[in-house]
This record gives sequence, C-alpha cells and structure tokens, in this order.
Amino acid sequence: MPDIPLVSTGTDSTTDHVTDEDPVDDAALLASGIELGYGEGIVVDCDDLVIPEGEVTALVGPNGSGKSTLLKGLSAELSPESGTVLLNGSDVQERPAKDLACELGLLDQENAAPGGLTVEDLASHGRYPHRGFLDPLTDEDRDAVERAIDLAGVDHLRDTQLSELSGGQKQLAFVAMTLAQDTDVLLLDEPTTYLDLHHQLRVMEVVRTLNEERDVTVCVVLHDLQQAARFADYLVALDDGEVYDWGPPEDVVTEQLLADVFDVDAAVSYDDEPRIVPRRALD
Amino acid sequence: MTRQRRVRDALLPEVDAQLATIIGASVVLMVIAGLVQIRYGAYEMPFEIAVRALFDRAVWTNPEVLATLVLGENAARFLGVYADLSVLSNATIVVWTVRLPRVLVAAFVGLNLAVSGAIFQAITRNELASPYILGVSSGAGVAVVFTLVFSLGAYLLPLAAVAGGTGAFLLVYAVAWRGGTTPVRLVLAGVVVGTIFNSLQTGMFYFIESNGVMRTAVAWLAGSLVGVDWTDARTVAIPTLVVVPAALASARQLDVLLLGERAARSLGMSVERIRFLLSTLAIVAASAAVAVAGLVGFVGLVVPHAVRTFVGSDYRRLMTGCLFAGPALVVTADVFARLALGGTQVPVGVVTGLLGGPYFLLLLRRTESFTEF
Repeated sequence: MPDIPLVSTGTDSTTDHVTDEDPVDDAALLASGIELGYGEGIVVDCDDLVIPEGEVTALVGPNGSGKSTLLKGLSAELSPESGTVLLNGSDVQERPAKDLACELGLLDQENAAPGGLTVEDLASHGRYPHRGFLDPLTDEDRDAVERAIDLAGVDHLRDTQLSELSGGQKQLAFVAMTLAQDTDVLLLDEPTTYLDLHHQLRVMEVVRTLNEERDVTVCVVLHDLQQAARFADYLVALDDGEVYDWGPPEDVVTEQLLADVFDVDAAVSYDDEPRIVPRRALD
Repeated sequence: MTRQRRVRDALLPEVDAQLATIIGASVVLMVIAGLVQIRYGAYEMPFEIAVRALFDRAVWTNPEVLATLVLGENAARFLGVYADLSVLSNATIVVWTVRLPRVLVAAFVGLNLAVSGAIFQAITRNELASPYILGVSSGAGVAVVFTLVFSLGAYLLPLAAVAGGTGAFLLVYAVAWRGGTTPVRLVLAGVVVGTIFNSLQTGMFYFIESNGVMRTAVAWLAGSLVGVDWTDARTVAIPTLVVVPAALASARQLDVLLLGERAARSLGMSVERIRFLLSTLAIVAASAAVAVAGLVGFVGLVVPHAVRTFVGSDYRRLMTGCLFAGPALVVTADVFARLALGGTQVPVGVVTGLLGGPYFLLLLRRTESFTEF
C-alpha cells in the first residue's frame, strides 16, 4: 500500500502531524478522495481522511463547512460521487445495511420517536441489526441492552415513557439505543446541540467512557470548538468542504484557525485545558 | 429455547391489563352483536332457536354437512365431501347460509382494515392515516364504477376493486419515487392520484343509466355487507390467513420505522425495501376487505387510533388489539346497518362513518396535543 499522508489538502500546515505509525493501518474509517454532495453541487471534497482506531476524533468547522455531510458519507447514508470510504478495510457502500450496522453506529442530533415508548423499549431496538426477522431477544441481547442503559446512565428512567422526558434525557435514551447496537465505531452528529450544559457534559462523558473502557472508535461532529478540544484526541477542522487541518487539539485549535476558518478574532490558551475566548467577529 | 417458544416470543406480546381489557371487551361485543345478527331478520325466530341452530348437532357432528356449508356445494363435490343440506331445519339453513357468513365477513373486514390502517399509520408516521391513504379507495372506486358503467359483469367487481386499488397504489409509489421516497412524498402522491381518480369516478357516474346500477355503485363506494355469503367469507379469509401472522411478525419493523428514517437506517434497516413490503402487506389486507365489502370508511383510521390510546405505540400490542377491536367495530356497526331501519338496509360504511366522526370530535375536544405518536 502506498504511503498515504494523513491529510493532503495542499496546505503546508498539515504535513507536520504525520506520526511514525502508518496511519492507514490504524484507520477504523478511511475516506479517500471522496466528493459528497446533494444532486448537482459538491459540498465536501476531501482527499484523504483517517479516523484512527480507538480514538475520539471530532469534526469541527463553521456552519455549512460540510461536517454533517462528511459524516453522512462516512456512515454510507450518502453515496460519494467519487472515492471510497473504508471501514476496517472494506467499502461501506458495498456492505449490506444490517451487516454494516453491527459495526458502525450513528446518533443524530435530533430524534423523533413515539412518545409512548419506554426508555428500555427504545434501547432494545438498538439490537435490531443483530436479530433475524423472527428472532426474539436473546440473553446476549438483554445483556447488551442492560450494559447500554447502565453506561448511558438512564437506569432510573428505564420504565419512563419518552414523552415524559426532557430533551437531554431523551438524547441519553437514544445514546443507550446506539450503545446497545454494540458497534466498534460510533459516529455522532452534533449530539449535544440542543441540550442544556448538564446534559451536554453527560453525553460527552458517556462517549469518553465508552472510548476508554470499551475501546470504541468515536467520530463526533461538534459545534462547540472548546468542547471538541476538551473531549477529543484528534480534531479535523473543515473549511468550505475541505479539510483545513488535522491533529491533536493543541496543534489544530490556534488563533490562526479561528481567524481563517471561523472568521473570529479569539484568544486561545492551553494551561491545564484548552480555553478559547472569542473577542469579535471578523468580516 | 424450543422452536415453538421462539416463535411465540417473536410474535405475541405480553398481555397486560389494558390489552386484556381491549381483547375482552371486543370479544364480548362481538358475541353479543353476532347473536343479535343471527336472531333477528326477515325470518323470525326466538333466541333459543337461533342459538340452537348455531350449535345444531346436525352441522357440528357431521363434517360433510359443515364442509358443504363452508366450502360451497361445488368445492364440496370436488373434494368428495358433499352432503345434502335439505336434512337441516329452516332455522339452521337461515343461520348457517345467510346470517353467520355475514357476521364472519364483517369480522374479517374489520380485522383487515384495522391491520391495514395500523401499518399505514406507521409507514406515513401519521396517526390519521387510513388504509386508503395511498390511493386504494380511489383506484378501487374508479375500477368498480367503470365495471358497472360498461356492464362488464357484477361477478368481476371484487377483482376490479382489487386490481384498481393495487394499480393506484403502484402509481402512487411511482409518482412519489425519486431515488427513494419519504412519508410526506407518499402522502402527497396519494392525494394527487386520489384527486384525479375521484374526478374520473365522479365523471363516470353520469354515464350510469339505471337506478339499480346506481344503487350498486353507491353501495360499493360506501361499503356494504348486504347479501354476502360463504363465497365472500372464503374470499376474505384466505388473504387474512397470510395477513395476520405477517402483521404480527412485522410489528418490530414498524416500531423501528417509527424511530425515524435516519435512525432506522443507522440500525441497519433497508428502509425503502421494508417500507414497500409493509405497504404491500397493508394493501393486501385493504384489498381483501374492499373485495367483499367495498370501501368501508373510518374503521382503518379509528381502530388503530383508539387501540393506541389504550395500549401505547408498541406495535405488537397495537396489532394484537386491532385484531380484536377491528372485528368488534364492524360486526357491531353491521347490526345497525342491517336492522336499525327495519326493512331497509344501509351500507355498513355509513354506520362506521357515523360512529367514527363523533369519536374524533370527542378526541378533538378532550386531547390537548396530538404529539403522542
């Protein structure tokens, strides 16, 4: 296999993040040369993108930079105009939906479910890809659902109907469903956008725990740059559908990035943790 | 785990108090309405005689008599189980050849419409969807009126209704398809196709010349059980044998589909394929009902809706409730349709409409929001 650099966007700033290990071998997800779009227009055009195995990678960028579109490409929801997305070496587009869903989970920012459903019912739907058409829940399924409910911290709500939950609790219930899917790779599309601070942190902590204890590869689209810098091992900054920069948060989140990509004049500092103080919007 | 146990676990829900109440109340209602249907009518008989006729030992202890009644004379002859029915009493003949099949057909019609409505409500994610939402009613209506206007033969009506309904459904799907469908596109396409077909149907009405044909047409379009017999019972029973297990087996797919398209897809469901297969199942159920009773309205809308308010949106429970509540509603409504006006029978669809309308009125007055689904 040729030595593909982690990110080749043509900008100089990216070349110095290449590590000693061959990144392609470590890639849970590898997108090469993908162009994604809806109908005519191409929204995302990225040469190579690696989501390293066992790490938390955050996709960040301003509105319309193509974060969610890129995620749709990675999850095979959108088929690329060109290029391929490989999940552990096999093309996601060519795999049967159920087969793929056993290895790749996806959580949306907003979810609609019948209000009469209980949290436990919802979580058990996460076992869908593991069950045949007529298979009842096996003991293995039940264990997975239990683990998921426990990990998402919704044990006390298991018999509560969704219509009685707050937005944050509901999102945690959906996290439980996605966890019950028991996948090696988890994609999250702005999972915290509509949540209050408490539940934002709860969701991110669950994700972190999942990554640390179960070694799940996570790729998360985040709106909040500071949150991304705190929780993720790697950041991918997108600008206008292209990868602007890739690497550990300290290297990626710079005053230069905020000015170039987000059009914001900000002060960035790293003492014990990243701190971004936006000052004013740049024209 | 044994095989039987597995199948039971996969198909049948846990019966709790609410579901048991629905099943119990439906069965009681069905038995009472059924007995009234069997007792009353042009041929007068007291209750005792009617019940005795229903449990007539000449029928039950004689498989050949039973087979001849249920399968029809020709089929019984063909199978070599024909028996002469003239040995039976008049009361037994009336109950077994006229009144009982009507109750059974009413029950099957109610079951199929309720199941069909329940499926379409999940597919379109709209709790006010009915079995007719994807064009079945307008397609079947056009085909029926066409058959009558051009005097193609009354025996073709069930076939025409099914063909027209299925054709309209496929047309709706074709109109809605653009690299895939969405619930909204399907519903809109249903409205478009429905509007065109309804206009055609109204236009064709002007070519009906005789009063009798007009009556037949109206009875079909309103949904009527007048004059149904064992032939109709067999016509609707056969698809029902497929519909019931398939509907119970599909309950989990419907639950997952209700989580939203993106969630269903990320759980590994082939959404388009499952949606089309489920629609097909719902169309088979609706067609079975339409073929024998015409376009009985409101049942497919009211029953799943009412059952849902009791048992919640879990489809295994909802489906099971519909299997009982649907028959109960139509059997009861048919009592009124057949007996309420003395000599004149009205289409059962008129009665279900009269019952369904006020139900929704009540719901509108009492419910704060409709976001339950």
